[in-house]
Amino acid sequence: MNLHWRRSLARTLTPARQALAGLAIAALLALPASRHLLEASMWRHMVLQYPLWMLAGALLTAALPERAQNGIARWNASGISGLILAGTALLVLMIPRVLDLALLHPPTEFAKSAALLATGSALRLSWRRAGLVVQGFFLGNMLLMGVAIGQLYANSPLRLCNAYLLDDQVRLGNWLTGLFTVLAVAWLVQVAWWIMRREADTQAMAGSAPHSSAHRAAP
Amino acid sequence: MVRTALLSLLVALGGYFSAAWLTHDFQVWTDEGARRLEVALSPVPLPAVELRGEDARQLALPAIAQGQVTIADFFYTRCQTVCLSLGSTFQQLQAALQADGDRPGAAPVRLLSLSFDGAHDGAPELKAYAGKLGADPALWRFASVPDREQQQALLARLGVVVIPDALGDYEHNAALLIFDAQGRMVRIFDLAEQQLALNYARHLASKAS
Repeated sequence: MNLHWRRSLARTLTPARQALAGLAIAALLALPASRHLLEASMWRHMVLQYPLWMLAGALLTAALPERAQNGIARWNASGISGLILAGTALLVLMIPRVLDLALLHPPTEFAKSAALLATGSALRLSWRRAGLVVQGFFLGNMLLMGVAIGQLYANSPLRLCNAYLLDDQVRLGNWLTGLFTVLAVAWLVQVAWWIMRREADTQAMAGSAPHSSAHRAAP
Repeated sequence: MVRTALLSLLVALGGYFSAAWLTHDFQVWTDEGARRLEVALSPVPLPAVELRGEDARQLALPAIAQGQVTIADFFYTRCQTVCLSLGSTFQQLQAALQADGDRPGAAPVRLLSLSFDGAHDGAPELKAYAGKLGADPALWRFASVPDREQQQALLARLGVVVIPDALGDYEHNAALLIFDAQGRMVRIFDLAEQQLALNYARHLASKAS
Protein backbone atom coordinates (compact mmCIF):
# COMPACT_ATOMS: atom_id res chain seq x y z
CA MET A 1 0.00 0.00 0.00
CA ASN A 2 2.74 2.39 1.08
CA LEU A 3 4.82 1.46 -1.93
CA HIS A 4 1.86 1.94 -4.22
CA TRP A 5 1.22 5.36 -2.76
CA ARG A 6 4.85 6.31 -3.25
CA ARG A 7 4.80 5.17 -6.84
CA SER A 8 1.74 7.20 -7.68
CA LEU A 9 3.31 10.23 -5.96
CA ALA A 10 6.45 9.78 -8.07
CA ARG A 11 4.29 9.59 -11.19
CA THR A 12 2.49 12.81 -10.29
CA LEU A 13 5.66 14.71 -9.33
CA THR A 14 7.58 14.38 -12.55
CA PRO A 15 10.82 16.40 -12.69
CA ALA A 16 9.20 18.85 -15.11
CA ARG A 17 6.26 19.45 -12.76
CA GLN A 18 8.57 19.86 -9.79
CA ALA A 19 10.68 22.39 -11.65
CA LEU A 20 7.55 24.28 -12.69
CA ALA A 21 6.33 24.34 -9.10
CA GLY A 22 9.75 25.60 -8.00
CA LEU A 23 9.66 28.30 -10.63
CA ALA A 24 6.15 29.33 -9.58
CA ILE A 25 7.14 29.57 -5.91
CA ALA A 26 10.26 31.58 -6.76
CA ALA A 27 8.25 33.92 -8.98
CA LEU A 28 5.65 34.42 -6.25
CA LEU A 29 8.31 35.12 -3.64
CA ALA A 30 9.98 37.68 -5.90
CA LEU A 31 6.74 39.70 -6.24
CA PRO A 32 6.87 42.98 -4.28
CA ALA A 33 3.49 42.18 -2.70
CA SER A 34 4.59 38.87 -1.23
CA ARG A 35 7.95 40.31 -0.20
CA HIS A 36 6.08 43.04 1.63
CA LEU A 37 3.75 40.56 3.28
CA LEU A 38 6.43 38.10 4.36
CA GLU A 39 9.00 40.69 5.36
CA ALA A 40 6.59 42.84 7.34
CA SER A 41 7.24 40.65 10.35
CA MET A 42 10.53 39.29 11.58
CA TRP A 43 9.38 35.74 12.21
CA ARG A 44 7.59 35.44 8.84
CA HIS A 45 10.74 36.77 7.18
CA MET A 46 12.99 34.05 8.62
CA VAL A 47 10.65 31.17 9.42
CA LEU A 48 8.39 31.37 6.32
CA GLN A 49 10.22 33.20 3.56
CA TYR A 50 13.61 31.54 4.09
CA PRO A 51 12.28 27.95 3.88
CA LEU A 52 10.04 28.82 0.91
CA TRP A 53 13.04 30.04 -1.07
CA MET A 54 14.84 26.83 -0.11
CA LEU A 55 11.85 24.75 -1.21
CA ALA A 56 11.84 26.57 -4.57
CA GLY A 57 15.57 25.81 -4.94
CA ALA A 58 15.06 22.14 -4.09
CA LEU A 59 12.19 21.80 -6.59
CA LEU A 60 14.07 23.62 -9.34
CA THR A 61 16.93 21.15 -8.93
CA ALA A 62 14.69 18.53 -10.55
CA ALA A 63 15.22 20.33 -13.84
CA LEU A 64 18.96 19.62 -13.79
CA PRO A 65 19.76 17.04 -16.49
CA GLU A 66 21.36 13.79 -15.34
CA ARG A 67 24.72 14.77 -16.82
CA ALA A 68 24.83 17.99 -14.84
CA GLN A 69 23.85 16.13 -11.66
CA ASN A 70 26.66 13.64 -12.22
CA GLY A 71 29.07 16.48 -12.91
CA ILE A 72 28.08 18.18 -9.65
CA ALA A 73 28.35 14.88 -7.78
CA ARG A 74 32.04 14.67 -8.67
CA TRP A 75 32.57 17.89 -6.71
CA ASN A 76 30.26 16.75 -3.94
CA ALA A 77 31.58 13.44 -2.58
CA SER A 78 29.32 12.16 0.23
CA GLY A 79 27.38 15.42 -0.11
CA ILE A 80 30.04 17.18 1.91
CA SER A 81 30.44 20.35 -0.19
CA GLY A 82 26.67 20.70 -0.48
CA LEU A 83 26.08 20.43 3.24
CA ILE A 84 28.92 22.86 3.96
CA LEU A 85 27.31 25.29 1.50
CA ALA A 86 23.90 24.91 3.16
CA GLY A 87 25.29 25.23 6.69
CA THR A 88 27.46 28.25 5.87
CA ALA A 89 24.72 30.05 3.97
CA LEU A 90 22.12 29.53 6.71
CA LEU A 91 24.54 30.61 9.41
CA VAL A 92 25.44 33.83 7.58
CA LEU A 93 21.78 34.53 6.77
CA MET A 94 20.82 34.28 10.44
CA ILE A 95 23.02 37.26 11.34
CA PRO A 96 20.48 39.91 12.45
CA ARG A 97 21.92 42.57 10.15
CA VAL A 98 20.86 40.55 7.09
CA LEU A 99 17.17 41.06 7.92
CA ASP A 100 17.51 44.84 8.11
CA LEU A 101 19.81 45.08 5.12
CA ALA A 102 17.53 42.89 2.97
CA LEU A 103 14.78 45.51 3.42
CA LEU A 104 16.97 48.52 2.63
CA HIS A 105 19.57 47.26 0.20
CA PRO A 106 18.35 45.45 -2.95
CA PRO A 107 21.71 43.72 -3.70
CA THR A 108 21.57 42.09 -0.25
CA GLU A 109 17.98 40.97 -0.84
CA PHE A 110 19.04 39.46 -4.16
CA ALA A 111 22.07 37.72 -2.66
CA LYS A 112 19.93 36.43 0.21
CA SER A 113 17.36 34.91 -2.16
CA ALA A 114 20.06 33.40 -4.39
CA ALA A 115 21.84 31.89 -1.38
CA LEU A 116 18.59 30.35 -0.13
CA LEU A 117 17.82 28.88 -3.57
CA ALA A 118 21.33 27.41 -3.65
CA THR A 119 20.90 26.08 -0.10
CA GLY A 120 17.67 24.25 -1.00
CA SER A 121 19.26 22.83 -4.11
CA ALA A 122 22.44 21.80 -2.27
CA LEU A 123 20.44 20.04 0.44
CA ARG A 124 18.51 18.04 -2.14
CA LEU A 125 21.65 17.10 -4.07
CA SER A 126 23.58 16.15 -0.94
CA TRP A 127 21.27 14.79 1.76
CA ARG A 128 20.84 11.19 0.52
CA ARG A 129 24.48 11.00 -0.53
CA ALA A 130 25.67 12.09 2.87
CA GLY A 131 24.77 9.00 4.90
CA LEU A 132 24.08 8.97 8.59
CA VAL A 133 27.54 9.97 9.81
CA VAL A 134 27.87 13.09 7.66
CA GLN A 135 24.19 13.94 8.23
CA GLY A 136 24.71 13.59 11.96
CA PHE A 137 27.79 15.79 11.90
CA PHE A 138 25.99 18.44 9.86
CA LEU A 139 22.87 18.42 12.01
CA GLY A 140 24.84 18.27 15.25
CA ASN A 141 26.56 21.51 14.32
CA MET A 142 23.71 23.20 12.52
CA LEU A 143 20.90 22.47 14.95
CA LEU A 144 22.88 23.34 18.08
CA MET A 145 23.93 26.59 16.45
CA GLY A 146 20.34 27.23 15.35
CA VAL A 147 18.97 26.68 18.85
CA ALA A 148 21.69 28.95 20.28
CA ILE A 149 20.81 31.69 17.77
CA GLY A 150 17.12 31.18 18.51
CA GLN A 151 17.80 31.68 22.22
CA LEU A 152 19.82 34.80 21.48
CA TYR A 153 16.93 36.27 19.49
CA ALA A 154 14.40 35.26 22.15
CA ASN A 155 16.36 36.58 25.13
CA SER A 156 18.07 39.70 23.83
CA PRO A 157 16.78 42.73 25.77
CA LEU A 158 17.74 44.95 22.81
CA ARG A 159 16.08 45.14 19.45
CA LEU A 160 18.48 43.42 17.05
CA CYS A 161 16.78 44.78 13.94
CA ASN A 162 15.76 48.40 13.51
CA ALA A 163 12.89 47.39 11.26
CA TYR A 164 11.19 45.01 13.68
CA LEU A 165 9.57 45.17 17.10
CA LEU A 166 10.92 43.42 20.18
CA ASP A 167 7.98 41.03 20.64
CA ASP A 168 8.35 39.97 17.00
CA GLN A 169 12.00 39.17 17.74
CA VAL A 170 11.06 37.06 20.77
CA ARG A 171 8.53 35.19 18.65
CA LEU A 172 11.17 34.54 15.99
CA GLY A 173 13.60 33.27 18.63
CA ASN A 174 11.02 30.84 19.99
CA TRP A 175 10.12 29.67 16.50
CA LEU A 176 13.78 29.02 15.64
CA THR A 177 14.38 27.13 18.88
CA GLY A 178 11.24 25.04 18.38
CA LEU A 179 11.87 24.37 14.70
CA PHE A 180 15.46 23.22 15.19
CA THR A 181 14.46 21.05 18.15
CA VAL A 182 11.73 19.37 16.08
CA LEU A 183 14.21 18.79 13.23
CA ALA A 184 16.69 17.21 15.64
CA VAL A 185 14.04 14.90 17.13
CA ALA A 186 12.73 13.97 13.67
CA TRP A 187 16.21 13.01 12.50
CA LEU A 188 16.85 10.94 15.64
CA VAL A 189 13.55 9.13 15.15
CA GLN A 190 14.55 8.39 11.56
CA VAL A 191 17.92 7.04 12.72
CA ALA A 192 16.25 4.88 15.38
CA TRP A 193 13.86 3.49 12.78
CA TRP A 194 16.74 2.78 10.42
CA ILE A 195 18.74 0.97 13.13
CA MET A 196 15.73 -1.11 14.13
CA ARG A 197 15.11 -2.07 10.53
CA ARG A 198 18.74 -3.06 10.10
CA GLU A 199 18.61 -5.20 13.23
CA ALA A 200 15.49 -6.90 11.93
CA ASP A 201 17.31 -7.53 8.65
CA THR A 202 20.34 -8.93 10.48
CA GLN A 203 18.11 -11.26 12.49
CA ALA A 204 16.36 -12.40 9.36
CA MET A 205 19.73 -13.07 7.82
CA ALA A 206 20.88 -14.90 10.97
CA GLY A 207 17.87 -17.16 10.53
CA SER A 208 19.19 -18.26 7.16
CA ALA A 209 22.78 -18.30 8.43
CA PRO A 210 23.54 -22.05 8.02
CA HIS A 211 22.57 -21.81 4.42
CA SER A 212 24.79 -18.82 3.71
CA SER A 213 27.76 -20.17 5.70
CA ALA A 214 27.53 -23.43 3.83
CA HIS A 215 27.53 -21.37 0.70
CA ARG A 216 30.61 -19.46 1.81
CA ALA A 217 32.43 -22.63 2.86
CA ALA A 218 32.23 -23.92 -0.64
CA PRO A 219 35.43 -23.25 -2.55
CA MET B 1 37.59 13.76 -3.05
CA VAL B 2 40.20 16.45 -3.84
CA ARG B 3 37.59 18.32 -5.83
CA THR B 4 35.12 18.07 -2.96
CA ALA B 5 37.72 19.34 -0.50
CA LEU B 6 38.59 22.21 -2.84
CA LEU B 7 34.94 23.20 -3.35
CA SER B 8 34.22 22.93 0.38
CA LEU B 9 37.18 25.19 1.10
CA LEU B 10 35.96 27.73 -1.48
CA VAL B 11 32.45 27.66 -0.03
CA ALA B 12 33.76 28.13 3.51
CA LEU B 13 35.94 31.03 2.35
CA GLY B 14 32.97 32.58 0.57
CA GLY B 15 30.93 32.30 3.75
CA TYR B 16 33.74 33.79 5.80
CA PHE B 17 34.14 36.80 3.52
CA SER B 18 30.39 37.47 3.28
CA ALA B 19 30.13 37.31 7.07
CA ALA B 20 33.17 39.58 7.42
CA TRP B 21 31.59 42.09 5.02
CA LEU B 22 28.24 41.96 6.81
CA THR B 23 29.71 42.41 10.28
CA HIS B 24 32.54 44.87 9.45
CA ASP B 25 35.14 42.21 10.26
CA PHE B 26 33.08 40.68 13.06
CA GLN B 27 32.72 43.92 15.03
CA VAL B 28 28.95 44.40 14.69
CA TRP B 29 26.06 41.99 14.25
CA THR B 30 23.14 44.38 13.91
CA ASP B 31 22.35 47.10 11.40
CA GLU B 32 22.27 49.64 14.22
CA GLY B 33 25.82 48.63 15.19
CA ALA B 34 26.90 48.96 11.57
CA ARG B 35 25.23 52.38 11.30
CA ARG B 36 27.09 53.67 14.36
CA LEU B 37 30.40 52.27 13.18
CA GLU B 38 30.00 53.64 9.66
CA VAL B 39 29.20 57.12 10.96
CA ALA B 40 32.25 57.06 13.24
CA LEU B 41 34.42 56.03 10.29
CA SER B 42 33.03 58.54 7.82
CA PRO B 43 30.88 61.51 8.88
CA VAL B 44 27.46 61.97 7.24
CA PRO B 45 26.72 65.50 5.89
CA LEU B 46 23.30 66.72 7.05
CA PRO B 47 20.89 67.12 4.14
CA ALA B 48 19.32 70.47 3.29
CA VAL B 49 15.96 70.38 5.10
CA GLU B 50 13.44 73.07 6.04
CA LEU B 51 12.54 72.89 9.73
CA ARG B 52 9.91 74.59 11.86
CA GLY B 53 10.96 75.42 15.39
CA GLU B 54 8.89 75.39 18.59
CA ASP B 55 8.65 79.18 18.23
CA ALA B 56 7.16 78.69 14.72
CA ARG B 57 10.28 80.14 13.15
CA GLN B 58 11.63 78.74 9.90
CA LEU B 59 14.96 77.00 10.42
CA ALA B 60 17.10 75.08 8.02
CA LEU B 61 19.51 72.22 8.26
CA PRO B 62 22.44 72.16 8.01
CA ALA B 63 22.62 75.93 8.78
CA ILE B 64 21.39 75.69 12.39
CA ALA B 65 23.95 73.02 13.20
CA GLN B 66 26.88 75.02 11.88
CA GLY B 67 29.20 76.94 14.19
CA GLN B 68 28.19 74.83 17.19
CA VAL B 69 28.38 71.24 18.30
CA THR B 70 24.92 69.72 18.53
CA ILE B 71 23.65 66.75 20.50
CA ALA B 72 20.48 65.75 18.68
CA ASP B 73 17.77 63.16 19.09
CA PHE B 74 14.64 62.12 17.29
CA PHE B 75 11.31 61.90 19.10
CA TYR B 76 7.58 62.54 18.68
CA THR B 77 5.48 64.46 21.16
CA ARG B 78 2.81 61.77 21.66
CA CYS B 79 5.49 59.27 22.68
CA GLN B 80 4.95 57.51 25.99
CA THR B 81 7.95 55.18 26.06
CA VAL B 82 11.52 55.67 25.02
CA CYS B 83 11.15 59.40 24.33
CA LEU B 84 10.36 59.94 28.00
CA SER B 85 13.77 58.59 28.93
CA LEU B 86 15.26 60.58 26.04
CA GLY B 87 13.58 63.64 27.52
CA SER B 88 15.09 63.04 30.94
CA THR B 89 18.49 62.32 29.38
CA PHE B 90 18.27 65.67 27.62
CA GLN B 91 17.17 67.40 30.82
CA GLN B 92 20.32 66.11 32.48
CA LEU B 93 22.44 67.18 29.52
CA GLN B 94 20.86 70.64 29.68
CA ALA B 95 21.60 70.85 33.41
CA ALA B 96 25.23 69.91 32.76
CA LEU B 97 25.53 72.54 30.00
CA GLN B 98 23.91 75.20 32.21
CA ALA B 99 26.30 74.43 35.06
CA ASP B 100 29.22 74.56 32.69
CA GLY B 101 28.42 77.66 30.66
CA ASP B 102 30.04 78.19 27.29
CA ARG B 103 33.76 77.62 27.58
CA PRO B 104 35.87 80.51 26.32
CA GLY B 105 37.55 79.72 23.06
CA ALA B 106 35.35 76.70 22.40
CA ALA B 107 32.35 76.39 20.13
CA PRO B 108 29.03 76.22 22.03
CA VAL B 109 27.41 72.85 22.67
CA ARG B 110 23.65 72.86 22.01
CA LEU B 111 20.76 70.41 22.16
CA LEU B 112 18.32 69.75 19.32
CA SER B 113 15.26 67.52 19.48
CA LEU B 114 13.85 66.68 16.07
CA SER B 115 10.34 65.30 15.68
CA PHE B 116 9.80 62.58 13.09
CA ASP B 117 6.04 63.10 13.26
CA GLY B 118 5.89 66.31 11.21
CA ALA B 119 2.25 65.67 10.30
CA HIS B 120 1.19 65.95 13.95
CA ASP B 121 3.92 67.95 15.67
CA GLY B 122 3.50 71.60 14.72
CA ALA B 123 4.90 74.57 16.62
CA PRO B 124 2.20 74.50 19.38
CA GLU B 125 2.79 70.81 20.15
CA LEU B 126 6.55 71.33 20.21
CA LYS B 127 6.20 74.36 22.44
CA ALA B 128 3.99 72.51 24.90
CA TYR B 129 6.39 69.60 24.93
CA ALA B 130 9.39 71.86 25.48
CA GLY B 131 7.57 73.58 28.31
CA LYS B 132 6.77 70.27 29.97
CA LEU B 133 10.43 69.31 29.91
CA GLY B 134 11.58 72.71 31.16
CA ALA B 135 13.72 73.30 28.11
CA ASP B 136 15.86 76.46 28.06
CA PRO B 137 15.38 77.90 24.54
CA ALA B 138 18.91 79.26 24.53
CA LEU B 139 20.34 75.74 24.90
CA TRP B 140 17.71 73.30 23.72
CA ARG B 141 15.69 73.70 20.57
CA PHE B 142 12.83 71.65 19.19
CA ALA B 143 11.91 71.34 15.53
CA SER B 144 9.92 69.24 13.12
CA VAL B 145 10.02 68.82 9.36
CA PRO B 146 6.76 70.05 7.79
CA ASP B 147 7.49 68.54 4.38
CA ARG B 148 6.90 64.79 4.32
CA GLU B 149 9.42 64.02 1.61
CA GLN B 150 12.14 66.08 3.26
CA GLN B 151 11.40 64.32 6.53
CA GLN B 152 11.83 60.92 4.89
CA ALA B 153 15.07 62.09 3.28
CA LEU B 154 16.40 63.32 6.63
CA LEU B 155 15.52 60.07 8.42
CA ALA B 156 17.03 57.99 5.63
CA ARG B 157 20.24 60.02 5.57
CA LEU B 158 20.70 59.76 9.32
CA GLY B 159 19.69 56.09 9.46
CA VAL B 160 16.69 56.65 11.70
CA VAL B 161 14.16 53.83 11.28
CA VAL B 162 10.64 54.46 12.57
CA ILE B 163 8.08 51.66 12.68
CA PRO B 164 4.51 51.76 13.96
CA ASP B 165 3.73 49.33 16.79
CA ALA B 166 0.52 47.57 17.73
CA LEU B 167 -0.58 50.31 20.14
CA GLY B 168 -0.56 53.10 17.57
CA ASP B 169 2.79 54.39 18.81
CA TYR B 170 6.12 54.35 17.04
CA GLU B 171 9.19 52.30 17.77
CA HIS B 172 12.46 53.88 16.66
CA ASN B 173 16.18 53.42 17.07
CA ALA B 174 16.56 56.21 19.59
CA ALA B 175 20.10 57.42 20.14
CA LEU B 176 22.19 60.53 20.81
CA LEU B 177 23.47 61.96 17.54
CA ILE B 178 26.45 64.32 17.52
CA PHE B 179 26.60 66.96 14.77
CA ASP B 180 29.90 68.82 14.39
CA ALA B 181 30.38 72.52 13.63
CA GLN B 182 30.55 71.82 9.89
CA GLY B 183 27.02 70.37 9.90
CA ARG B 184 27.94 66.71 9.71
CA MET B 185 26.75 63.81 11.86
CA VAL B 186 29.99 62.45 13.29
CA ARG B 187 28.99 60.01 16.05
CA ILE B 188 26.02 58.10 17.39
CA PHE B 189 25.90 57.20 21.08
CA ASP B 190 23.57 54.90 22.90
CA LEU B 191 21.01 56.48 25.25
CA ALA B 192 22.92 54.95 28.16
CA GLU B 193 26.13 56.67 27.05
CA GLN B 194 24.98 60.17 27.91
CA GLN B 195 28.16 61.18 29.75
CA LEU B 196 30.31 59.85 26.94
CA ALA B 197 28.25 61.80 24.41
CA LEU B 198 28.61 65.00 26.43
CA ASN B 199 32.36 64.57 26.84
CA TYR B 200 32.74 63.85 23.16
CA ALA B 201 30.68 66.92 22.22
CA ARG B 202 32.79 69.13 24.52
CA HIS B 203 35.97 67.71 23.10
CA LEU B 204 34.71 68.38 19.58
CA ALA B 205 33.70 71.92 20.58
CA SER B 206 37.14 72.70 21.98
CA LYS B 207 38.71 71.52 18.73
CA ALA B 208 36.23 73.43 16.58
CA SER B 209 37.20 76.86 17.85
